[in-house]
Amino acid sequence: MVSLLDRVTLEKMRLRALPRLAVCDRQALVRRVRELSPGLPESDTAISNIKGERNQAQGHLAKLNPAKYGSTRNHLDGAVTRLSPFIRHGVMNVTELRDQALEQSDAKSAEKFIQQLAWREYWQRLYQEYPQRIWQDVEPYKTGFAPGDYQDELPIDIAEGRTGVACLDGFIHELLTTGYLHNHARLYLAGYICHWRRVKWQAGAAWFLTHLLDGDPASNNLSWQWAASTFSHKPYYFNLDNVAKFSGDNVDTRIETNQALAGTYEALYARLFPKLEPKS
Amino acid sequence: MSVIWVHEDAITLDHPIFQLAGPDAQPIFIWDTQEHDRRRYSLKRRVFIYECAHDLDIPIYAGNSAEILSTIADGDSIFAAGSPDPDIRQVLADLRENQKVITVDAPRLAQIPPNTDTRRFFRFWNRARKSALTPSFETLMNTTQGS
Repeated sequence: MVSLLDRVTLEKMRLRALPRLAVCDRQALVRRVRELSPGLPESDTAISNIKGERNQAQGHLAKLNPAKYGSTRNHLDGAVTRLSPFIRHGVMNVTELRDQALEQSDAKSAEKFIQQLAWREYWQRLYQEYPQRIWQDVEPYKTGFAPGDYQDELPIDIAEGRTGVACLDGFIHELLTTGYLHNHARLYLAGYICHWRRVKWQAGAAWFLTHLLDGDPASNNLSWQWAASTFSHKPYYFNLDNVAKFSGDNVDTRIETNQALAGTYEALYARLFPKLEPKS
Repeated sequence: MSVIWVHEDAITLDHPIFQLAGPDAQPIFIWDTQEHDRRRYSLKRRVFIYECAHDLDIPIYAGNSAEILSTIADGDSIFAAGSPDPDIRQVLADLRENQKVITVDAPRLAQIPPNTDTRRFFRFWNRARKSALTPSFETLMNTTQGS
């Protein structure tokens, strides 16, 4: 509640909108954001190549190919839309994207794309219904470990992309510099952080929210819980063969530079989850 | 003056709240540095958000959201897109104590029956699939015909 005294003070401030910047002057806009954010560390200098302009989003939407999306979306160089930052901030609504997809394709061909839009709506519904679940374990871990077995803080080598696992360091570099990551790369990082390094999913989720332009507490945190196993039946893990299968030529998937991820699923399962029954 | 709060979950002028608020309501965006600091947004996130707001060509104010909304509305109505974000909801709930606050949700992708089991996505999807795969204009026609 605003008291009368507060009211008078506010009126004395003679509230004024910020002066409008010239369109297309990105440097001036960055300076403005810096001036408005004195608490940001000096070392935080990265600006994404993704611009927050609706015509950029419309450009991505014009390239939408729902059928190709459905068949290639799990590949890091697949036909994904890169519209998620615009959806996150409501610049575009999911119904607009659905309608565009159905104009271009029949429902069957567009289904995978629309199902991914439905994931967002699902997370949003849960967020509204159970806001407390966003930072708390929805269910117990199914890893054989208790929450107390996981570190609270994100290790510095992860935060800085110096894990020594080449493909993951590449993904971290991309996250820190562009504010965007393919969904599969997000899963690899989440699986690594939760299960290889045994760090609480909350630490990874908070880190993603700092950097991802599409960082949304519902989609992000509940996806982390899915990978951690606190909102799924089993933990998400992967091996180097899987990264190689879904990566393009730009990702370093050599065994000698990614040893922590190398091995069969059975061997990794035994190593990461020693308290669980061995996988047959 | 009635105000439309264009908050960070709906940085758009294409939302049903605008029809409800009418042409005389003033849309504004509020740059709340303390909120961004609390959320630990990096510079690139802040730049992206500012760009989205700047792109709309509406006034951008810097400061506390509740104070600015209350001052500009000055007793008139405050309109806002619905959001599941607890912080946005709290700002609106606090304002509601002294002013008329109206929210409208964006159109949903899917219509699901009440009490649908949402403990896992595919249980939700099985109930949502049919309406999610139906274009908006067909849903609208069915709604109109049924009313």
